[in-house]
Amino acid sequence: MNTPTDRDLLLRARRGETEAYGELVTRYQTGVFNVCYRILHNRSDAEDLAQETFIRAYDRLYTFDLEREFSPWIRRVAANLCLNYLEAQKPVAELDEDRDEDKTQSPGEQVEVKERSEQIRTALASLPPHYRVVVELRHYQDLSYDEIANELEIPLSDVKSHLFRARKLLAEKLHAPD
Amino acid sequence: MHLTDEQLNEYLDNETAERAVIEAHLASCGECAARLFTLQALFADLGSLPEVNLSTDLAARFTPSRSLTPQLPRWLTLTATLQAAAALLLATLAAPFAAQMLEPYSSMYTMPSPADILTELQFNFFTWTRSFGSISLPEFPPNPFALPAEITPAILAVGMTSMLLAWAFSNWWLLHKKSNRLA
Ligand SMILES: [Zn+2]
Repeated sequence: MNTPTDRDLLLRARRGETEAYGELVTRYQTGVFNVCYRILHNRSDAEDLAQETFIRAYDRLYTFDLEREFSPWIRRVAANLCLNYLEAQKPVAELDEDRDEDKTQSPGEQVEVKERSEQIRTALASLPPHYRVVVELRHYQDLSYDEIANELEIPLSDVKSHLFRARKLLAEKLHAPD
Repeated sequence: MHLTDEQLNEYLDNETAERAVIEAHLASCGECAARLFTLQALFADLGSLPEVNLSTDLAARFTPSRSLTPQLPRWLTLTATLQAAAALLLATLAAPFAAQMLEPYSSMYTMPSPADILTELQFNFFTWTRSFGSISLPEFPPNPFALPAEITPAILAVGMTSMLLAWAFSNWWLLHKKSNRLA
């Protein structure tokens, strides 16, 4: 049996076949979750936002252009949603920086050597929301400066300054001589 | 003059038109080459981040699985089962009495054979098809609101266009409402 293409599934989902959309969710949930996790650095928030992404997208299926690819689109929707989420709760996040910490490692391990990937995630989480999202779109979703400007509805000069400053901050945190 | 941060970033992002100039400078300047190297190391770090697995299945919400179908309360399923069992038991017990009571009537009526039923159906079908040959509609008294005696192509065109417009508009309205619901 042929596996249906994303386009087939989208057409069926538009006709009200929820299972077809469920199949698309199965295909892309890990990717979408990872977008949210990189930006939010908190598992349960990332899962909530990933779920929210798919629900929003389902409700907007009628406005989705079938000539475009679904996967990049849904990942951009996720990034935007995470940005809105972070902006909405900015004051809380600043007071409560440790909350972001993912407590999957034992305390002993955490004190000793944080894995490199954990260091990178922590460094990302320390950036202001707009910087995080620009890094996400450039490094993980391969968008050009122009595409990022369009997606976030900000001037090209802001894209550049956010991205370059974000990289400077990340490099300071990750390559600091210690 | 050294390269700016902007130049180095744009160079690595493939967003610069002056690649040759930048490369020429990098070849001759150790300081800028080192700055480029630091940026490249950061790119590599970001690229090395592994994907993390989800702990729940987000698709479950969109798959009408057993767990999502409303479960009847236990007491209700139990009562329903008991009622069915009781009804079956009663029917079994009542069957001999019912047969006895119905006996005098059953002798008055004979079941038609399958052949009888087929003949009957065939006959009905022929009568029905034949009656189509002489079909005629009853005459109505003259109606003051009747359509014009002659439906001209112009009238037809106007009528069909307005129906098409009404159809398109109502569809747009329905879909428009739906797509805006949670936007
Ligand atoms: Zn130089």
